[in-house]
This record gives sequence, structure tokens and C-alpha cells, in this order.
Amino acid sequence: MKTALKVLAVLVIGTVLGLGATSLFVIRGTMPGGVTDGPWKTNLLIGSSGGDMRTRASVAVHGLLALNRSETIYYSTDRDSDGNTLDGTCTYIVAGRDPPARWWSITAYAADDYLIPNAAKRYSVSKNSVTRNAAGEFVATVSQKHFSKDWIALQNGPFNLTLRLYNPAASVAADPAHAALPSIKKVSCS
Amino acid sequence: MSAREWTGWIAATIVVAVAVHLASVWILPHAVMHRALSKMGAVNTIHHQKRVDEHARGVVRPSPDLLYSVCPFDLSNGSLEVKAPVPPGTYWSVSAFDNNTNNFFALNDRQIGGQPLELIILPPRKGTEPMHIAGRLVIRAPTVRGLVLFRTLVNDDKQFAKIDTVRRQASCAIAK
Repeated sequence: MKTALKVLAVLVIGTVLGLGATSLFVIRGTMPGGVTDGPWKTNLLIGSSGGDMRTRASVAVHGLLALNRSETIYYSTDRDSDGNTLDGTCTYIVAGRDPPARWWSITAYAADDYLIPNAAKRYSVSKNSVTRNAAGEFVATVSQKHFSKDWIALQNGPFNLTLRLYNPAASVAADPAHAALPSIKKVSCS
Repeated sequence: MSAREWTGWIAATIVVAVAVHLASVWILPHAVMHRALSKMGAVNTIHHQKRVDEHARGVVRPSPDLLYSVCPFDLSNGSLEVKAPVPPGTYWSVSAFDNNTNNFFALNDRQIGGQPLELIILPPRKGTEPMHIAGRLVIRAPTVRGLVLFRTLVNDDKQFAKIDTVRRQASCAIAK
């Protein structure tokens, strides 16, 4: 009887530890092989079919149905250029030049990784929608306050940004840490 | 309980933990794909999803600038025949994923060169290399179940109706 209880304890504790490790390191943890460019992070393993068992599981959780690196490179961040957590009660300026790709977009997602509800349906800015100055630079505002153009809407709470590069220049896949991506600067908080 | 006994029980616990961890990591991609496919509707039929907004909660991080059309497939009863016109003047791609979430095929509007897509996906066997048979692109799926996904970029809201009409002409069905 005593031995049976011990075996049961081993099975229960082992199962909890095993599942806990999966949750901590694979489901909630960051993917192996990540690359950083300013505040932006990417992982060229997203969309690939290679990798070990753990990488495959990470890709399935964090990049489900994503395309491979020649088709699309996905950068994301939950931090601004100063390293502070992105906060929906603040206003941010995302500024830069067109990243080297056939088409690009920057989209804001709530902490649950779905689009942020807003009546104006302003979820993203993209190569086709932003305005540029004479030097070819764009300045987009990410805030709860409404703007008529170059604006991504926020709500209270943490959020994250995803930068998609469709058919990126070969230089991005070759050196994703130096792709000259837009900066993210906090302007104010309410 | 002696120190030796303790060591034995702790070792057994670690073995169980490692086994459960490895098993759960192995099964995770299958489980994630199964969950995604179950939300997409009937197999071997194309489903044109509405324009993405905050109510789109099937797959994480959807792009609001893309129109998605999906065809969950089950090749138990034969090959899948996929046909689609390519909308002019915008980014378009078709990709295929196996039951383990692997992206085993992708083709975009530039690569296809303006021709309509005629794609046959064969049930799994050895080799997944694309080949052309009688003008059609033929690929072999690594698993019986999986997903074909079309992405069409709405690069100009004024063009939405036109782009939407073209992408809705896509079809997928088991080949007769």
C-alpha cells in the first residue's frame, strides 16, 4: 500500500514537472535562435520545416501558419527602443524609412495576440498607407488618441507590435540583425 | 526511508518528468494544428474568411491587411485539386501546411507569373519535390491531413471589392 502511494506520487509529481517544463520553456518561453535588431526580434526558423523537436513545438505555438523567410520575415516586439514595456496608456512614435521588402506592415496586437478592438478599425500602417516626407521618412503614431492618418489605435494594457516584411530583400534574411527597421519612441503616458 | 531509497524515488520522478516533457513537446504541433483545423470548417472545401478585424480569433496575430482563404484537406480518399486565379497588381500567395504545422509548399504571384494556379496535392508517400505534370503543379503532402492557405493583400481599400471577387473564384476539391 505504502509502495503504491509512493509510485503514485512519483507519477503525479513527474507529470506535473514534465508538463510544467513544457509550459514554461516552450509555450510561454521565447523561441530558440532569436535575432534582435533594435527593439525588434525575429526568428528565421518561423515557417521552416527543419529544426529539432523543441524548435518545431515553439514554431507551432508562436508562428502557426507563418510563411518561410524567403516569403515573409516577421519581426515583433513588446518593448520600445529604450527597452521599456509597451503600454497602451502611452503614446508612441514609430518612425523610419521603408524597410527593404516588396511590401511591409506594422500591426498592434493586444497581450492575447489578437487585434486591439477599436471603432475606427485602425489596426496597422503599411507601405501603401503611410505618408512620407521629402526625405522618404514616415512617422506613425501609436496611441489611444485618434489621428486622421498614420495612426494605430491602442487600448489600456500591454500590447505588442509585429512588423511584416513580404518578399524581403535577400540582405534581410542574410543579416536580420541589421535591417534598418523603424524606431519606437515613447512620447507621453496618461 | 533510507537515503538510498530517497535517491531511487527521486530518480524515478525525474525519469517520469523527462518522459512526460518529451511526449508533450512531440505532441504539441499536432495538437495546435488539430485545434486550428477544427475551427476552419469542412475539409476539402474552400472557406473564404471575412476581412480580419478584432473579432478574428481563429489563429493568433492575423494580418488586417490580408484576405485569408483556407482549405483544410483530408487526402484519405484521393488527391486534392486546387484552382485559383491570381488577383492582378497585388501580393498573393498560396501555401500548404502538414498536420505537424510544417510549411511544405509556398508560391507567390510573381513566381507563378500571372498564370492561374492549378495545383494537385497527392497523398503522402516518399518524396515531396514539386513536379509539373501536363502543365499542372503537382506536390506530395507529407501527411494525410493539412491545410492550404491563400493570402491576398488589400493594398488599396478602393480595390477591395475587385480583389475580393477574384479571390473568391478559388476552389479546392478531391480530384475525380
